[in-house]
Amino acid sequence: MNLAALGFAAALTSAMGAVIAALVSPADRRALTVGVATGAAGGAAVLAGAAAMAGQGFSLAVPWVLPLAGFRLALDPLGGLFVAVTGGVAVAAGVFGIGYARHGLAGRAAQAVLPVFVAAMLLVPAADSVGTFLVCWELMAVASLPLVLAEHRRRTEVGEAGLWYGVMTHLGFIAILIGLLIFAAQAGDASFTALRQAGAHLSGGVASVVFVTTLVGFAAKAGIAPLHAWLPRAHPEAPSHVSALMSAAMVNLGVYGIVRVGFDLLGSGQGGGQGGGQGWWWPLVLLLGAISAVYGILQAVISTDLKRLLGYSTTENMGLVLIGVGAAGMFAADGNRVLAGLALAAALLHVINHAAFKSLLFLAAGSAVHATGTRDLDALGGLRPGMPVTTGLFGLGALAASALPPGAAFVSEWLLLQSLVHGLPPSGVPSAILLPVAVAAIALTAGLAVATFVKAFGVGFLAKPRSEAAAEATESPPSMLVGMGVAGAACVVLALGATAVLPGVGSVAMLASGSPDPAVHGAVIVQLSTVAGSLSPLLLAVALLVGAVVVVAVLRAVAARSRQRRIARLWDCGGGPLSARMEYTATSFAEPLQRVFDDVLQPELDVDVTHATESRYLVQTVEYRRRVPDRIERRLYQPVLAAVRAWGRAARALATGSVHRYLGYGFYTVTALLIVLAVTR
Amino acid sequence: MSALGAVGAVGAVAQPVLIVGGSPLMLGVMRQVRAKLEGRAGAGIMQPWRDLRKLFRKEPILPRGTSEVFRYAPIVLMGTTLVVAVVAPFVTVESGLDPVADLFAVVALLALGTVALALAGLDTGTAFGGMGASREMTIIALVEPTLLVAILALSLRVGSTNLPTIVSATLHDPGRVISPVSLLAVVALVVVIIAETGRLPVDNPSTHLELTMVHEAMVLEYAGPDLALVELASAMRLTVFLGLLTTLFAPWGIATTATPAALAIGLSAFAAKITVLGVLLAAGEVFMAKLRLFRVPELLAGSFLLSLLAVAASFFLA
Amino acid sequence: MNETLYVQLLNLAAGAFLLAAVMVLWRRELTVIIRVFALQGVALAGLVAVLAAHERSVELAVVAAAIVVLRAGVLPLLLRRALAGAGEAQRETRPLVNVSASLLAAAVLTLIAYAVTRPLVELAPSPATQAIPIGLTVVLIGLFVLVTRRRALSQLVGFLLLDNGITAIGFLTTSGVPLVVELGVSLDVLFAVLVLQILTTRMRATFGDTDLDELRELRD
Repeated sequence: MNLAALGFAAALTSAMGAVIAALVSPADRRALTVGVATGAAGGAAVLAGAAAMAGQGFSLAVPWVLPLAGFRLALDPLGGLFVAVTGGVAVAAGVFGIGYARHGLAGRAAQAVLPVFVAAMLLVPAADSVGTFLVCWELMAVASLPLVLAEHRRRTEVGEAGLWYGVMTHLGFIAILIGLLIFAAQAGDASFTALRQAGAHLSGGVASVVFVTTLVGFAAKAGIAPLHAWLPRAHPEAPSHVSALMSAAMVNLGVYGIVRVGFDLLGSGQGGGQGGGQGWWWPLVLLLGAISAVYGILQAVISTDLKRLLGYSTTENMGLVLIGVGAAGMFAADGNRVLAGLALAAALLHVINHAAFKSLLFLAAGSAVHATGTRDLDALGGLRPGMPVTTGLFGLGALAASALPPGAAFVSEWLLLQSLVHGLPPSGVPSAILLPVAVAAIALTAGLAVATFVKAFGVGFLAKPRSEAAAEATESPPSMLVGMGVAGAACVVLALGATAVLPGVGSVAMLASGSPDPAVHGAVIVQLSTVAGSLSPLLLAVALLVGAVVVVAVLRAVAARSRQRRIARLWDCGGGPLSARMEYTATSFAEPLQRVFDDVLQPELDVDVTHATESRYLVQTVEYRRRVPDRIERRLYQPVLAAVRAWGRAARALATGSVHRYLGYGFYTVTALLIVLAVTR
Repeated sequence: MSALGAVGAVGAVAQPVLIVGGSPLMLGVMRQVRAKLEGRAGAGIMQPWRDLRKLFRKEPILPRGTSEVFRYAPIVLMGTTLVVAVVAPFVTVESGLDPVADLFAVVALLALGTVALALAGLDTGTAFGGMGASREMTIIALVEPTLLVAILALSLRVGSTNLPTIVSATLHDPGRVISPVSLLAVVALVVVIIAETGRLPVDNPSTHLELTMVHEAMVLEYAGPDLALVELASAMRLTVFLGLLTTLFAPWGIATTATPAALAIGLSAFAAKITVLGVLLAAGEVFMAKLRLFRVPELLAGSFLLSLLAVAASFFLA
Repeated sequence: MNETLYVQLLNLAAGAFLLAAVMVLWRRELTVIIRVFALQGVALAGLVAVLAAHERSVELAVVAAAIVVLRAGVLPLLLRRALAGAGEAQRETRPLVNVSASLLAAAVLTLIAYAVTRPLVELAPSPATQAIPIGLTVVLIGLFVLVTRRRALSQLVGFLLLDNGITAIGFLTTSGVPLVVELGVSLDVLFAVLVLQILTTRMRATFGDTDLDELRELRD
């Protein structure tokens, strides 16, 4: 029993203990026990995942529990990375949930389902057979649905959000089911080892079908456009620690699936491809990633709902990860192993960084929502005096999310850009077009991400409060602060000490590179092997700190007058103190950008003018409404849903009410099938 | 650091001193050139330093209702600019701190400074602060793609984004500068620099009309030593950006050895190049008017197209 | 037992099985239909008993006994009870497809069954597998009865024919499913019949008749 197995077993036991505690504990202790047990499960999972990344895996096979290949678990470095990430987020979310549960979430059902969700998310990366994978995936989906619906008594939109989420997650599940079952049928056995061996010999067409169907399912889970519609609905309506778990741990499993099926099982990592079927896979992934990244951040920039903004930002970050994965696949297919390993390492590092800062952001947003009761950025603001810790932590998360140094995402984006930059000159026309497009997409998202998080932090937390609720906000209970603190600490460690995590990530990326040397190494300086490039986030942060200290020292020396600052009025053009109504809101902040991207966003304007009865020249009221709908939803989903409704109405004609007719349908179908069978044999 | 580390170390000290001391001077030269071209007498080259001295002597102020973000933003701005001034290879071919001298890192650090200022603008809670922050963020968001793609075009020929590497490669192969790739990238970067430093036609640094302000609106509430820091940092940013332009495209005169003579040549070459560029910029500004904010994206889109063409050219002509 | 006796007994049982199914199609009096169904239960039990004797399997013998009890005893009893409350209407009303057409359809279904199961039979030729087409025929006939008969009781008999046919195929192909499964299936069938019996009584009490064609509310 090595550390990985022990840690994993401890994590699952702790989760089970949490479930029992939820069912058995008295109401006042329930949240505490469940939160602590979930946190412990997360911690054990982090240890297990880290041990697996270091090379100690484990495997377990219990043949009789499930049909076909039975219940098999195997933790390899790739799975270990995702287990560790999930565990880390579970620690933060579990502790946060202790304080948050006072919101009306202290019921038995809501508390008991959370550890089940965490356990399912831990099992998915460890699954080693098709049956196990599908069962754990479905368990994860089923466990998350009641969590999303937890607050349905309070708001009516929660029900609709749950419906979208449930339907889309199950459609994705069907796609994955089809793909994996086709694969297992070709391989003859459902264990991943058999799939791996068969993947090297699959014909191009079958392999492409498997890849595309699993890509559809996993991309839907990861929130990639155009299958992202559930994400900006479900994440705002779920309780904040559940949003953190979903956004920072669950969507990663979509990426896990794509990497596992594409690189590991279908064998793209080793050697080029068989036949032409594989040439277009990874450019497709890269293109999807680029579209999602740009679209996601564009929707986030103009969003005025704080949690919806964070949800769209998840789409953007998953798009960036897919750009890295697609680039890795393209490089591997071209034979450029080193760069493939580098690109995959960058993508996986971004997964880790995203988990850290997104969980921090969601938890801090949850704290703000918990204190003020509203998610609308146009009604928040001025939270700094009442909630200093939350404000500080949200600022830390926003710095990390905007990919600026010394944040966490800066390192992973730097690595990603390095891999793309060195990938040129390209080997073919697709690369020649796609790689600069990918760089441009990353650049655009970087710029827009900066704008988004300046808006979220500046409008939501700084300046003066825009509503009564924001003015009366007080700091959250200590458990919530501790949960946020854990995530914040992770962000800081990842920002400054990326070199601690990179060897592990590099060993996972060997899946794509196939070489024994990691793509990146170095203790203080991140150095790329073979290609020229180095960066030291730690030295950068130290240099900034030294620079700031020097500036302060020089200022003290040079500035002649006293250090005591005088409190003065703000400039108000002489018209008296400014009210909070005169502040810029989130809508106005993003308005120039919305105008620039008018064609893409296509906002809907409604102006209603009511004239006075006496004369048409006098106006009584003017009503102005502007909405920016999700354009992909408008153009893609609405027609599909309308068509389905029309078919449903047409199919009503089949149901006349006669039992004989219904039975007849069955009989005729069976007979027809049998005849067809007899004839075609 | 290699054996030439001494060069880098010396540069790391001399360079920021030159930049801190010289950027207000350069600003003064630019204003003087504009004044002369517009038929005015001008305030003299030393006026920016006189302004700074006056501001440093004033009483520090904290507006009511602002938080630490407002208070520490000038320090962050100045700190990032100082780090870039130390790290970038303007005077010597080796950087003072090589692991930080990556082109992406330098650009991101400068963006961090802008972000700090934008947050300070939002923190004041006034309409002007918000307006400045909003406009500045729009411009930054649209400038980033051009900047990164232009960096891509530059690093393609060299195979690395490390600034000293690019500089030494250009020193060894001067012919590269005249290639179409370089020319397209230069034009794109000039537009980027104008946008990032807030010069005409994107922003008017000497305006006092709130509706035309971008940078000035964000710093409207600063006074005294804070304002001095912000003004000094803005001047240094302009110098740094122009320095990046010269380093990437015209690095001749950079010291490659540790001798005092080479260092002196390097310093004076840098000063001369920056002055020339500043004068050209100022002269150009006389003939331009500020663009409407909603015309600026067209300008930036044009520069993006140029940088994309630079990348394309580097494939098909390399 | 020796081989020829075994084959003859097997064919006899299978033939009786099929004949019972055809009789359900042919006759219209409900009491006769129930009696014929009981006979089919006996035929099925005989089939299983022959297989048990041939393979000297005690388990199969037990199953045969259970089949007699259930399908030739309990189920017809329940059906008769359901019929008892009918009073006047002891005949099947005019079915959706008349008797001659039904018999022709039965012939066609037999052909289909033979065509479809040919590969199965060729897979492992033996006297037992050669009787598989008969099982499938009974399944199809059962389905047909379900579809074309108006009275709830006739439909119930059709459903039970379906189940009988499936059981027969099960025994003929694999010499039986595990005892546990057989018990489970039998229990299911028993419960289904119980429920349907209650339902039929209720329907008669509410509507006065169990002609299903008159009940057309089951739609959107």
